[in-house]
Amino acid sequence: MAARRRLFLAAAAIVAIAAWLPYWGFLMSAPQYPDESLTLLVSHRGIAGDVQEVETLQQYIGVRFPEHLPELEWLPPTMMALAALLAIGAFAGAGLAGRLLRWAGVGVFVVLLLASAATVQRRLWDVGHVRDRHAPITAVKDFTPRLFGPTKVGNFTVWSFPHVGGIALVAAMTLAIAGARKKALV
Amino acid sequence: MTRIVTLIVLSILATAALMQTMGCGETGSAQVRAAQEVYVPPGEHDRYYAFLSGGQSGSVFVVGIPSGRLIREIPVFEPRAAYGYAVHPNDPRRRELESTGGAWGDTHHPAPSETNGVYDGRYLWINDLANGRLARVRLDVFETDRILKIPNLQGAHGIAVVSPNTKYIGVNGEFEQPTDGLATNPAPYTSVVAFVDPESMQVKFEVRVNGNIDIADSSKDGRYFFATVYNLEQGKDMGGMIQFDRDALAAIDIAAAEKAVAEGKGVVRNGVPILDPENVPGVLTLIPVPKNPHGVNVTPDGRYAIASGKLSPTVTIVDVKTLKIVAEPEVGLGPLHTTFDDRGNAFTSLFLDSQVVKWNIDKAVAGTSDYIVDRINVHYNIGHLQAAGGETMKPHGDFLLALNKLSKDQYLPVGPDMPEAQELIDISGEKMRMLAAFPTPPEPHDAVFMAASLLKSKVKQVFDLGADSVKEGGESVVRTGPDAVTVNMTMIRSAYTPETIEVREGDHVTFRMTNVETIRDMTHGFALPDHGLNVSLPPGATKEITIETPKPGVYWFYCTNFCSALHLEMRGRLVVQPKDGPVKITDWRAGQNVAGLQVPGVPSTEKSNGR
Repeated sequence: MAARRRLFLAAAAIVAIAAWLPYWGFLMSAPQYPDESLTLLVSHRGIAGDVQEVETLQQYIGVRFPEHLPELEWLPPTMMALAALLAIGAFAGAGLAGRLLRWAGVGVFVVLLLASAATVQRRLWDVGHVRDRHAPITAVKDFTPRLFGPTKVGNFTVWSFPHVGGIALVAAMTLAIAGARKKALV
Repeated sequence: MTRIVTLIVLSILATAALMQTMGCGETGSAQVRAAQEVYVPPGEHDRYYAFLSGGQSGSVFVVGIPSGRLIREIPVFEPRAAYGYAVHPNDPRRRELESTGGAWGDTHHPAPSETNGVYDGRYLWINDLANGRLARVRLDVFETDRILKIPNLQGAHGIAVVSPNTKYIGVNGEFEQPTDGLATNPAPYTSVVAFVDPESMQVKFEVRVNGNIDIADSSKDGRYFFATVYNLEQGKDMGGMIQFDRDALAAIDIAAAEKAVAEGKGVVRNGVPILDPENVPGVLTLIPVPKNPHGVNVTPDGRYAIASGKLSPTVTIVDVKTLKIVAEPEVGLGPLHTTFDDRGNAFTSLFLDSQVVKWNIDKAVAGTSDYIVDRINVHYNIGHLQAAGGETMKPHGDFLLALNKLSKDQYLPVGPDMPEAQELIDISGEKMRMLAAFPTPPEPHDAVFMAASLLKSKVKQVFDLGADSVKEGGESVVRTGPDAVTVNMTMIRSAYTPETIEVREGDHVTFRMTNVETIRDMTHGFALPDHGLNVSLPPGATKEITIETPKPGVYWFYCTNFCSALHLEMRGRLVVQPKDGPVKITDWRAGQNVAGLQVPGVPSTEKSNGR
């Protein structure tokens, strides 16, 4: 089997699986939570983990989770469509049409991931800015949690990081780019 | 001549000064070493939990060893407002205490559950000498879960778990009772040893023993239950109790007793079959030991039972297989209790000498003269002593706790009654070394050590929400009768739901409350002024209590356990409306209690909120 076909098939398979895994994770630590960092996981099903405890804490600074996250509902069908596109790209010929199809697949993939990252960052901005102004603790200024890495929020440090699904998607994208660059049969 | 004398005097003074300095240096370095051994830096954990009976506090103290820090008090037989334990007269535990002897107790001997001859970290039993009770403490939550009033028994003194797998908890009845329970009986009074099932907490059978049954232990194979017995004379006063030269170490053959009970040889009284050894030979063996003995302790290898002489300066070493005395060595004045290391040594407390004496068991049995290894002074009048794991088949051989009856000059004076004193001794070397001392409220009698590594992982962080818990969203105030209201309440930082409860004068209000927090240590209190109510709910816990509302008014309930930045704001109201008449108490500032209200004279905080 041609290398590009293997790479594209692998990318398609990973995307199809990753759609159902948690995409992003948050780890929250504070002095009074020793050895018990609070964890939040974002998957197509919504936000999971220590939701009750985090919501209990959020009320003090007027922060709340978005009640409705339509983009999460769209993600699985979008990802399955992308996987199908990559699979078709795998079996498309070595000619110009096939190459264009593969690059189109890669393009859609990259745009999708960038758009997702932008959406997450937008949601994070909302979390830190669209707040209840009558919240009890006034000491915490508006904030924007980073997409990657630590952000200090009050007594908490919030670590954001891609979870298995997110990492797998980036890996699949790399495979697809590598596959699209292969020109000849090997 | 004058010069020589001056020289001599100067050299003596110089030598004395030098010795003084060197001596201080030695003491100083020993103290520094001891301090390092007991120092547990903030945030780090002790190596052992020590469970100390609370004596007349009716509780159990949990102390970290080696630091001596008091980690917890577990209330058992006495109400503790701080833990919301058995405070209100209608609290189910308070009623249980009142109905079984009173809301106070005298705890003496903590006995942990065992598996294969070592502690398994499940339960701890504790006696109430005063009211003839036995309580079980759950070690996963450090709370009392069962209290048993033992029938046919007064003065529940020595208790011991039957090794190696906690078949029973044996409880010694110290105070004799009329044989049939009636004071008109002319026959001599007797006492019983009660054998309690560890799971059901029911007395399975009792064995009658003449005299006062004192301290207990079991053989390591579970064949015998040992108990020291004094006052075989059956005297009614002190003079009458010390007439005989010898009293006894009682050995109850557990299998023989079980067989006799199964054959129906027990006389059932108050639901419990009592065996009379006179009618059932083989159940009870009395081994003569010097009069009025006190402690009995079985060696870790299970070979010997050692009875301490108290009035006699000896310990009596009994072969557990043959029940024969093999030696009776002198150890010092007032021997009360014995504990063990893992190297064949015994440590006996000497009440009168105010010492712990270390002696070698094999040498004492062999009769060689050098069986005494070391002595160390304790302060003062030591009662029990306990080495880490000393009651198990695997002693740790590192620390020993001396539980002293008097402290006299050891602490800052606090009036005529001085604190109870414990001293921690290093027994890892040939010579014992005093490490540290710490006081407690009155009055620990006995203690057991449990390795932190055994227990830490078993301790729950939150209670599991049971079927009886109130769920978030399921809160309600329901009228269940003409004068009965049930409040289903949840609490989580920093609010009660519902936070306003309106009832009528004379209602019986049942609060069913659940702390729905899911993280450890987030305990909430519920204190209701003027109604005698103070409850404490650790995370996940549910409690139910019914109160009466005799007087109209507005009563603020509030959180007594500091929980959050809005702890002070965590409260609510019980509004008791007058039973009759048209006047109703109106809601306080109804409708105005909304977020963002501009309170006159107070600047708005709107601007400072991150803008």
